[in-house]
Amino acid sequence: MAELPAIYAKHIDRWLPELMYYCLATLGIAGTAFVVAVLIGIAVALCRVSHIGLLRAAAVTYIEAARGLPIVVLLYIVYFVPPQILPGWNWAWFTAFYGAVLGLGVHGGAILAEVFRSGIEALHKGQMEAALSVGMTPAKAMAYIILPQALRIVLPPVANYAIGLLKDTALCSLIGVNELMNDAKSIAFAEYQPMAVFVLVAGLYFAMSYPLSLCVRAMERRMSRGR
Amino acid sequence: MSFWEVVEDKGWYFLTTLVGGGPETVLVAAGALAFALVIGLAIAMFRLSGWRLLSAPAVAYIEFFRGTPALVQLFVIYFGLPDVGLQPSPVQAAVIGLGLNGAAYLAEIYRAGIESIHRGQMEAALSLGMTPARAMRSIVLPQAIRTMLPPMTSFAIVLLKDTAIIFSVGVVEVMALARNLVTETLQSAVIYLMAGALYLCVTIPMARFAASLERAQRAWR
Repeated sequence: MAELPAIYAKHIDRWLPELMYYCLATLGIAGTAFVVAVLIGIAVALCRVSHIGLLRAAAVTYIEAARGLPIVVLLYIVYFVPPQILPGWNWAWFTAFYGAVLGLGVHGGAILAEVFRSGIEALHKGQMEAALSVGMTPAKAMAYIILPQALRIVLPPVANYAIGLLKDTALCSLIGVNELMNDAKSIAFAEYQPMAVFVLVAGLYFAMSYPLSLCVRAMERRMSRGR
Repeated sequence: MSFWEVVEDKGWYFLTTLVGGGPETVLVAAGALAFALVIGLAIAMFRLSGWRLLSAPAVAYIEFFRGTPALVQLFVIYFGLPDVGLQPSPVQAAVIGLGLNGAAYLAEIYRAGIESIHRGQMEAALSLGMTPARAMRSIVLPQAIRTMLPPMTSFAIVLLKDTAIIFSVGVVEVMALARNLVTETLQSAVIYLMAGALYLCVTIPMARFAASLERAQRAWR
């Protein structure tokens, strides 16, 4: 432990720029997966509350399966299974990056579907009717009455999910995506400095996730004050 | 060979091999849970002690372990500790890594549970002449358990799922055996789907149980 500062003094000007570069890759994966998860989440939440039993059942099955699977297993399934089931297709484009984004997106979609559903169900139908009856157009009612209330319910859990997602991107190194954790492994083992490198990388993940979680807490406080 | 032909031909071999990793998965999950329950309680007590010298490190611990990926923590312990002269075995590293990580989450569950018990309970116990430790042990914690049980069950599910990353430090559990089988037979589709199904067989009933606990608790309130 005592020699850690000395190791950092010697190597950090080489390690840090490279690791920071791969932080961008990590943020890129997290950002893309977040968009995928939101899209899947909205679609599945709408199926979940629909009047068609078949859609509802499909949504429930998807949510249970995607939330019950470890993320690593999901990544392995999404990345390795389709090319083998459909060997005739061209899978050259399906790189580990796409596997990671899709796998994390499928997992997040199930979490966000439940969040969005609770947002939809928390709003009483009377809100829309009341807004229309005072002469608002449906679009106006949506923009001024429904969405602001739904956002207040949905935003904190969505932001918490985003923080979790940022940390989960580290698992993508296990299917060979070139991101922060993968680069850390190659530096650590090439230079025989696992302690120094992995502690530094933990610090980098913390530097990315902690400001986010402070924002979420500030947001939660503000929203609970507004009530 | 098509998917179903592989299932027919090798399915039983795959299944028995994968199930063979189950005890290791459960062992690490149970060990990490026990470890996290003890350390988490200690950290929650530090955090609630009202003494900054204890609460500040507890907060730092919680923030740091919740702010970094479990995989990185695991690598620091398994690959990093030998740098300072300690060499944990894969299972030890997995139990300690997931346990230390889980303690941060459990500390917050303990805290929420303890804070849900009215302060008057503690004051009444103290006024009867109990020591603070005794009051916590026999008055506050037994009541807080009711609030803490549903989130703790959810935490146990998360912990079980997190064991799927420990093959990366060399523990031979379900996921490690699945990867070995794929190297051996190249049948990634059947093997990974089967491994996923095995996890679901455990996590879905546990999730149902957690949900029913939560319902029971809400009904009681």
